[in-house]
Amino acid sequence: MSTLNREEKSALKMVLPYVILTVLLFVFLLGSNLFNSFTDKNGNWTLQNYIDNFTDPVVGRTLLNTIVWVVGSVSGQLLLGLFVALLLNESTKGQIIFRSIILILPWAVLDIVAGVMWKWMYNDMYGVLNDVLVKMHIIRDYIPWLATENMAMLSVIIANIWKGFCLSGMFFLAGLQTIPIDLYEAAEIDGANSFKRFWTITVPQLKPVIMTTLMLTTIWTINYFPLIYTMTGGGPGYGTETIVTYIYKLGFKFMEFNRSASLSNVLFVIIFFIAFLFLRSIAKEEAR
Amino acid sequence: MRRSSLLVLLMLVVLAIAGVSQTINIWIGGQVAELDETWDMIIGKFEKETGQKVEVQLFGFDIYYDKLLTALQAGQGPDLAFADLGGWVPTFAEKGWLEPMGALLDSWDGVEQIWPNLWPTVIYNGERYGLPWYTDCRLLLYNQTMFDSAGLDRNDPPETWEELVYQATKLTDASKRVYGYGVSGTKTEHTSLAFIIFLYGAGGQLLTDDYSAAAFNTPEGLRALKFYTDLALTYGVSPNAVTYNEDDYRNMMAQNRVAMAIGGPWSFPLIETANPAIVNNYTVSLHPYGSTPASVLGGWALVIPSVSKNKENAWELAKYLTSFETWMTWIEAKGGPMPTRKDVCYAAPVLQDSKWQVIFETFPFAVSRPPIPQYPQVSEQIQIMIQNVLLGNATPEEAIKTAEANVNAILAK
Repeated sequence: MSTLNREEKSALKMVLPYVILTVLLFVFLLGSNLFNSFTDKNGNWTLQNYIDNFTDPVVGRTLLNTIVWVVGSVSGQLLLGLFVALLLNESTKGQIIFRSIILILPWAVLDIVAGVMWKWMYNDMYGVLNDVLVKMHIIRDYIPWLATENMAMLSVIIANIWKGFCLSGMFFLAGLQTIPIDLYEAAEIDGANSFKRFWTITVPQLKPVIMTTLMLTTIWTINYFPLIYTMTGGGPGYGTETIVTYIYKLGFKFMEFNRSASLSNVLFVIIFFIAFLFLRSIAKEEAR
Repeated sequence: MRRSSLLVLLMLVVLAIAGVSQTINIWIGGQVAELDETWDMIIGKFEKETGQKVEVQLFGFDIYYDKLLTALQAGQGPDLAFADLGGWVPTFAEKGWLEPMGALLDSWDGVEQIWPNLWPTVIYNGERYGLPWYTDCRLLLYNQTMFDSAGLDRNDPPETWEELVYQATKLTDASKRVYGYGVSGTKTEHTSLAFIIFLYGAGGQLLTDDYSAAAFNTPEGLRALKFYTDLALTYGVSPNAVTYNEDDYRNMMAQNRVAMAIGGPWSFPLIETANPAIVNNYTVSLHPYGSTPASVLGGWALVIPSVSKNKENAWELAKYLTSFETWMTWIEAKGGPMPTRKDVCYAAPVLQDSKWQVIFETFPFAVSRPPIPQYPQVSEQIQIMIQNVLLGNATPEEAIKTAEANVNAILAK
């Protein structure tokens, strides 16, 4: 406290009530979730909710689906984001317009709107995607995009890549612009071709940004709910049921609030662990 | 001076809050927002007659369940609310969220006018917890223009499953993406409802009479499951079933793409909005059946949450809304939905139209979904069973056996 100056002290006093309120709310919600997860419907202490999580075959399936969903979405978003960022980094004229149109637009579209829009684009009676593909002679017959488990998963991943690549692109673009141009100039004089310049300058320089983006998008994608829910509702079968859609279903559809709480705590631990691994490797990187 | 004006302000605020708590809050779900004006008119009349203030909130169906559930779970909520007859009332009653209504209903003279097959939907542990307000039952909705162009008689829809296959095959032209019958196969309630119609139409039953175990793994149940999925798989008369349900098919029907699907009285305004030219070129009939006529009923009941501080007035409003006069005014203004009062069904001039007569004839055949708190989970197992067959993950025999085991496990908990 003694290190704070007067202005800082009064500022602290001003924000303190809100900080306390927010923290209390956070602690209360977390606490009540923990409490719920260890009790049964009558409020008795039990571990049954957690045991159910390990015996319920659907949970295993959703875990697997979540891994596919996250790996597919994140790798797609990062690669496409990097590609677009590299392209945008080249052009200097009209960059703001390009950035706002290409990068912000999909990201700014509301989740529900994006979900409904993709659902209609994939439609196998009227869908624009099928129509365009047929007219381009790429496919001969309409593809029922959301009608089988694997196709549905692929389709929601494609939609999610579209929805999320913008954010990675923005991060990468910001990272690219911090790389000093002299590095490239020096390399060019030394005779490095453009691929080599990318590999030996851009990638290492961008690594911290890539790691942070990878961590954030991974966590966001695990927790991302609206797109799947509006497009497939977790179906067909359990084809696109991820842990979060299942948690929602357990709580709001089946009213098994205690099990829902326990599964979300399990998810919390998983995410915590992933974040921990990332942060540790980022910290190591910085220490070097 | 400043202090006294502050005091006055404070008093005003307190008065305003006290005034607000005297109003009756009613939540209406499942009704599209366009009905707002009719609600204003009906409620306005009540306010004028009784001097009570009523605050109406309308919700779309998609969000209403979550909204109501969250409020009730948090110990809040309106004084009077709509609850879906598909199992909401017993589910909420089990949690202790609803006020028992038996004594109130006994003191009311309208009880015998309510269609008798509606009461099981609002009973939990022998006590009534809701007053059914409007209802409907599922029928076969079909496009008569498409019947004409396929060379079928527009006034002779299929009555049996054999006729259904025959006519649907004639109506289907898969190369033009035109189909005879829409099989609902999405992971939504529509799929369970459709299966229930086929199951009871084959003479089967979903659960035992005391709702303690599954009763659909019988030769009748298997026949229903096979026939229902065969419509899509073997006969190929349906668009890709796992991606669509009756709501989608209704829209396709408006565009002459699907000739028959399950629908009901609520479909009339919706299909006419989708294509105004379809008026007089679509109608309803009893859904084709295997051995016995069958239908599922649905609808909404008025319930009083136990947290309400204004229960007496809420009950007055419920009685007013369910009175003969209010319903007659409503029907005159909107033409639907189907009232839960028999006297209104028979008296309202608008309801004497032939489509409505089909509905009133079918209604006594309509069964309700099991009014038990576990129904949503049972329903999901039915949806999974149908999807597994449609996706080729399991044979009908395997799927029905798995579903039976899962439903029994759910009910045993």
